[in-house]
Amino acid sequence: MRPARAALLALAFSAPAFALAGEAEPDPTYLPELLAAARSKSLSEDRAWLRLGHWRKRLLGGWESEAGGPGLFLSPQGKRDPAAELEATLTGFFAPGHGAPEGVKLADPSLEHPQCRFPARFAWLAAAVPIDLARLPPRSCPRFEAFWRRVSARSATLIFSSYYLNNPASAFGHTFLRLGKEEVAKGGERLDLIDQAVDFAAVTDTSNAVLYAFEGLFGLFRGEFSARPYFYKVREYADYESRDLWEYELSLDQRQLAMLVGHLWELGQTWFDYYYVTENCSYYVLAVLEAADSKLELLSHLGPATLPADSVKALFRNPGLVRAVRFRASARTQLEARTAGLSGAELDAVQRLAEGGDPSGLDAMSTDERVRVVDAALDLVDVRHGRDIVTGADPAADVLRQSLLERRSAIAVASPPLAIPPPSAGGPERGHGSVRIGLGAATSREDGSVLFAEGRLALHDLADPPAGFSPRTQIEFFKLRLSLADRRRALRLEEASLVEVTSLNRIDRFERRISWKMRVGATRVVDDGCNGCVAGMFAVGGGPALVSDGGALSAALTADVDLLAAPDLRGLSGSGVRPGVGPGLLLRLLGGERAALVGTGSWRWLPLASPSTSYELGVEARLHLGALSLAARWRKAPRLEEIGVVLLLYGG
Amino acid sequence: MRRIRWVVAALVLSAGVAHADAENPAAHGKATYGLAGCGLGSMVFGDQKGAIQILAATTNGTFGSQTFGISSGTSNCVEAGSNRQGARTFIEGNREALAKDAARGSGETITTLSAMAGCKDAKAVGATLQKRFAQLFPGEKTPVEQVSQNVIKELRADSSLACQKIG
Repeated sequence: MRPARAALLALAFSAPAFALAGEAEPDPTYLPELLAAARSKSLSEDRAWLRLGHWRKRLLGGWESEAGGPGLFLSPQGKRDPAAELEATLTGFFAPGHGAPEGVKLADPSLEHPQCRFPARFAWLAAAVPIDLARLPPRSCPRFEAFWRRVSARSATLIFSSYYLNNPASAFGHTFLRLGKEEVAKGGERLDLIDQAVDFAAVTDTSNAVLYAFEGLFGLFRGEFSARPYFYKVREYADYESRDLWEYELSLDQRQLAMLVGHLWELGQTWFDYYYVTENCSYYVLAVLEAADSKLELLSHLGPATLPADSVKALFRNPGLVRAVRFRASARTQLEARTAGLSGAELDAVQRLAEGGDPSGLDAMSTDERVRVVDAALDLVDVRHGRDIVTGADPAADVLRQSLLERRSAIAVASPPLAIPPPSAGGPERGHGSVRIGLGAATSREDGSVLFAEGRLALHDLADPPAGFSPRTQIEFFKLRLSLADRRRALRLEEASLVEVTSLNRIDRFERRISWKMRVGATRVVDDGCNGCVAGMFAVGGGPALVSDGGALSAALTADVDLLAAPDLRGLSGSGVRPGVGPGLLLRLLGGERAALVGTGSWRWLPLASPSTSYELGVEARLHLGALSLAARWRKAPRLEEIGVVLLLYGG
Repeated sequence: MRRIRWVVAALVLSAGVAHADAENPAAHGKATYGLAGCGLGSMVFGDQKGAIQILAATTNGTFGSQTFGISSGTSNCVEAGSNRQGARTFIEGNREALAKDAARGSGETITTLSAMAGCKDAKAVGATLQKRFAQLFPGEKTPVEQVSQNVIKELRADSSLACQKIG
């Protein structure tokens, strides 16, 4: 019998020696004994079995597997009946014939021998029932062997890729697995690039953006596991999407790794419905880890929505599971590291080179300086044009890159290695809980003393503790603020947001992206447009932002457009709809990870409405003390002036 | 509650799409070069229109998932073993990064390729690739299999590099 099957079985077994009978026929009288033993031990209710089949408890009793296709079940009732599936599995192991040969694409999973379709189940049952392998000899499984060799897993690492610049939907990140061959170069460098990356992703079949979003939300895509060399992921995420990669090496032992590889092979036969919010990449990566090691508790630590960052936190809820944390810098982060130590003249040369020019001062520089400058220019060209060059969309950029590469190769000096420390904000495991609630009190010019209650479902705003989050992105869902005023004795809605996003991008000599913001929700009108009515609101704005070195101070000046609507609102030409345009200002000062000060200001021209202008000013100071924060807020508008304090609690 | 969350996520997704698409006018370009070998053009980006490319980053819907299915077997590009075929896959999939490291005479892709090919000294490999850069790494117009063939030929031909696994 080939090494992979032997290894899997040996590792699954706690008994040291067993006869590996090769290709001998199984003893047909043994099956009823095994079925009886499995029944008497209620193995079909064992957590390990349930996890291998991905059965979850149904609301009104019973089980249902999350697996979509029939390929994961030998029994016609398998999807809803773990016991029937267990019996069909044991029965299937006795089937005649051999494992299908390598290199042939099977038209149907049923053409493969059940032992070879379900190596993880075989290994678990062999230990749990247990199975005497002299009476049920393991078949050789060339196709599984080939997968085992391809993967050669000696370690497993969960990889988190951070946000994709300017795409707030990716602020949630993505997780997948890397199965490490643990190969090391002569000089001790890790050879991660040739490991296998395993990920769960939606198989998309539409090129229509709206349909894409709809299908992703409502589980109309199928999600499948796939395995490819890790370098494809590094190129895609780190190089072309400028996403940093955080790597969490797991302390799975050999047996658990074998079960992981065997189970991934099993899942290759099926698909799962992909739901963007809940049963997404992170959910199934955790589910697969739980199947590999039944002692792990991962999915139970997730909230109603599966945020990839929360899936990383779930790892840390299992003491000792994370053996090491590593960081792989994106192209953008590498560029920042290269340009950090350069002088003004050198940066000018970088800029000119990256635009195809020929900086005059280059020849006067020392060799080392020239190497640094050209290396930085190469990274800048890749950050700006890398993707278009690879897809062939920008031949001119390719010509530019090629000439720069040739210029660099003409300097017969090897570049020194670039050591990039992980960002001080840390990885997603350091992030605050995504749910936030607050209780506060204020004094208001109009309403006297006011009590506030507020809440937010997800995720992060500009004044929240910065650890573990991208530094200048605000993305919030479902925000609500209610007030109870002394004078009014009624609970009122002050603010509500379905979604609120702000993306601040620094403008410096290399970056020209503008910052932008967007909000959809409702707000209480604080000018004379109506008598304190609540209006639906849609607002967008964009403009340049400056960020200080180190990122402590950010300032953005935006051109804003908003649309308010309410029945009582004295809007455009007397209607209830009121558009407004005007400038907006945002300032943020961070005091390390402990304090934040955010100031906002806006002025609106309200055409053909009454009043014809409006403004709003606000300042918030926050002090972070672990799971809770203290905030002081001041707001001023034509019909509002209040100052107060809020206690904020993070959870989830 | 669940449904509302989906609506919210849809709004954010479309916000991301609308903005990202506007930011990247080249996103609508089609790959114009030959899509063969294990290069990134075919394996990662495929024939995606701009908006879908951005959205794909959110659901991580990959267009290459047929090639990389778990039961794909050992067909092209699915693994990078320490032998000649593996080295070719590696060179093709990392072509642009390898070109940059070669121009620099050092880097992760050179260390990895050197180890895969069983070469004696990664520094020597780096120096050779840097010296012969213009011949080995012409621009994107050159098909990726030609690049991998030429690099392998160079590593084999130079006996001082002693690259035993691709000999």
